[in-house]
Amino acid sequence: MAEFTAAVYQNEFLPDGGTDVNAIVTVRCTGAGAAGRTGSGDAGEIIAVDTSGSMGVANMNAAKQAAMIALDNILDGTYFAVVAGNHKAYLAYPMVQSGAGMVRMDARTRAEARRAISFFRAEGGTAMGTWLNLCKALFNSIGNLAQKHVILLTDGENHNETTAQLDSAIANCIGHFQVDARGVGVDWKVAEIRKIAQALLGSVDIIGDPNQLSAVFAELMRNSMSRGVANAELRVWIPQGAQVLFIRQVSPTVEDLSGRGTPVNALTMSYPTGSWGDEERDYHVAVRLPAKAVGQEQLAARVQLAVGADLLTQGLVKAKWSSDNNLTAQINPEVAHYTGQAELAQMIQEGLSARSAGDERTATTKLGRAVQLATETGNAEATAKLRKVVDITDARTGTVRLRRAVDKADEMALDTASTKTTRIRS
Amino acid sequence: MTEAEWPLWSEEHPVPAQDVQPLEADSAPIGPEQGAAAATAPSPEGPSCPVCGAAVSPSASFCETCGGTLTPTVVPPPAVPSGEAFSSQTRRLGERVSALASCPACGGTVAADGYCQVCGAKAPSARDHFTAAPAAWVGGVCDRGVQHHRNEDAMALWAEEDRAVLVVCDGVSTSIDSDVAALAAARKALDVLVTSTSVGVAGDDSRDAAMAQALVDAAHEANEAVVGTTAPDSTNAASATFAAAVIAADRVHHANLGDSRVYFIGAGQQVLLSVDDSMAQAFIEQGMPRAEAEAMPRAHAITKWLGRDSLDIVPRTGVHELTEPGWLVVCSDGLWNYASEPAELAVQLVAASAATTDPVAVAQALVTWANAQGGQDNVTVALARWGGVPAAAASAGRSSLGEAPNDRPGKEQPANG
Repeated sequence: MAEFTAAVYQNEFLPDGGTDVNAIVTVRCTGAGAAGRTGSGDAGEIIAVDTSGSMGVANMNAAKQAAMIALDNILDGTYFAVVAGNHKAYLAYPMVQSGAGMVRMDARTRAEARRAISFFRAEGGTAMGTWLNLCKALFNSIGNLAQKHVILLTDGENHNETTAQLDSAIANCIGHFQVDARGVGVDWKVAEIRKIAQALLGSVDIIGDPNQLSAVFAELMRNSMSRGVANAELRVWIPQGAQVLFIRQVSPTVEDLSGRGTPVNALTMSYPTGSWGDEERDYHVAVRLPAKAVGQEQLAARVQLAVGADLLTQGLVKAKWSSDNNLTAQINPEVAHYTGQAELAQMIQEGLSARSAGDERTATTKLGRAVQLATETGNAEATAKLRKVVDITDARTGTVRLRRAVDKADEMALDTASTKTTRIRS
Repeated sequence: MTEAEWPLWSEEHPVPAQDVQPLEADSAPIGPEQGAAAATAPSPEGPSCPVCGAAVSPSASFCETCGGTLTPTVVPPPAVPSGEAFSSQTRRLGERVSALASCPACGGTVAADGYCQVCGAKAPSARDHFTAAPAAWVGGVCDRGVQHHRNEDAMALWAEEDRAVLVVCDGVSTSIDSDVAALAAARKALDVLVTSTSVGVAGDDSRDAAMAQALVDAAHEANEAVVGTTAPDSTNAASATFAAAVIAADRVHHANLGDSRVYFIGAGQQVLLSVDDSMAQAFIEQGMPRAEAEAMPRAHAITKWLGRDSLDIVPRTGVHELTEPGWLVVCSDGLWNYASEPAELAVQLVAASAATTDPVAVAQALVTWANAQGGQDNVTVALARWGGVPAAAASAGRSSLGEAPNDRPGKEQPANG
């Protein structure tokens, strides 16, 4: 059985009349085991590959090879299927017309699936919503999967669907399975793919060079197979009369969870966190309380991790009102760090958006602030990626100039990586 | 199970015929794999456990099926909070009061983590507020006060029919774990003094000398106890004040380090027996009036204390001959901050003992009064009622005590809490 622990980083002290409590809650999972093998139920994996015409021969061949390597990394006994997608979605494997649309992995099914993939050829358009809907139907055809995960690869924009159609498909799939989405080349839209991955609790990234596809798919599948905790939820209790200002995951990536809660009871909300391997995730919880008198202490939030029937760990966020300015004026370093990292993600995304809209003044301001934040919070990866989009005059003050010639892949890499955070230096 | 018509890639993209061949001789045709659909979703009437779905009582704080924590939607029938539940006599100090079922602030249920499940208020801990009543004539209250988050005061009392020992230690709040250290010190000093009787020693002078030595020994042992609670590598050694009094026959033997105090408040005389080791006292000794000295910026800085970094742990000792009934008071600065002059303290003591002569009730009334004045520090009041002050005598004493100088008739009568 996996073990979860929680640690809380905060300044508990509020000044007289203070109402807002900020805390970073680190949740650590150990002993997660392997997907589908911990007795909590079977795991299901779907590899969904873009087979639209734009993939061309080179990308298609790389994608085929990557999909086969992903198959190699699916543990025997895991239910799986392979989906080929263009303007329609097809079940490529198993080759069944009806009934269960997934089979258990073994040597025979792996070999058959590899053969099915080998016949992929690039033709047609792109309608990712149909791919997602087919994935959901396939998972549902195996009634009781505990853990459901899709690797989705695309190379282009979602030309054959309206935004509303894609949004509807995404909404249809929320809470049913997780999607790690990857875009190959530079002709796909980061915002479109990020929308899918964020809603479906997965990651998004660019694969600039098709030669990297196999390594990326292998790693994605290995990571998924190492997530032995099928489905965990973050529960946040706040006292009567309090309100959650926001709750966001801040490490390993920034994800705002505020709008994703479902009530457990009048005082507790549950936020989905998907599957867990042996890892740590940090959450930033901000709660507003009615002020109490100096000297009073109260609990501002209980932050709990629950898996199915078990509450596995709990972190206590506290509030103590004090008249001692030395105590109340301190900003907790973890809170400050992640507040900066969340703003960094926002500045990068807004800056790039302004840049592509031709608003250079806003782009310069936002990306300059991003450079400043990346420097302050020690996010070397973000600084390196920003450097390919702007010329940095003074990182400390955030003085930058937009570069005239920017490699499209560099810009997309900066965008997809914008939500990645560094942990605090200690 | 969903009946679906799967759109097959192989239907629309026919595989070359020569490529279709079994990979293994014994490969079976691929049939639908049946998943064992055994999931059941009970939907019980009324509230259910958010963890396991079992039916639960609306006022329950734990699920009886899975043990998961619940937030009650109905306030449970109020359990009558008993003052005894906080008594130091029955519970190891420093332990969270997990037996306390209902929140004093809102009536909700207190969770195992020590906070209310409805309003989040911190449940009072046994260390925050405790009383001791070793005999009908001896008792005390040790309280967190209002402004501090932790009770770093400590108190240890012992009494028999005609002899009592009162020890108060005030942990220095800038040091680590001073709440633990202060309690260890008070208890150790009590142990030493309880066993150090002067019975059998001939002559008052010899008895006084023996008791003075016992008090010095008690301070020494208490210091060892404080040092024992400090991690060897701590850069911020725990430290505490020390005030002790032994009352027996017609004498009070007392000792102190730091600024916790010993008073005797009789009908005729009200005296401060101890002498603070503090900056304020240093100012007083240079000729400054007490009120002015105690209002100086560093007045509360103490010049002697118990702890690893202490230079001098030999307490000042003294003897006071008892000539009339009255109250022996050993207290921390959380009380005397609001009534430093003996006559001022007498006024509050008279008010506090107007309705009762029970030492715990009187001490509680003084603590409540100090908290009403702001409660800026932890408050400890230990009392011994000497000379058998009965209710009537206490009442008589009040009239005579009421003539004390600096009387403040306007001070509010504290509610006995």
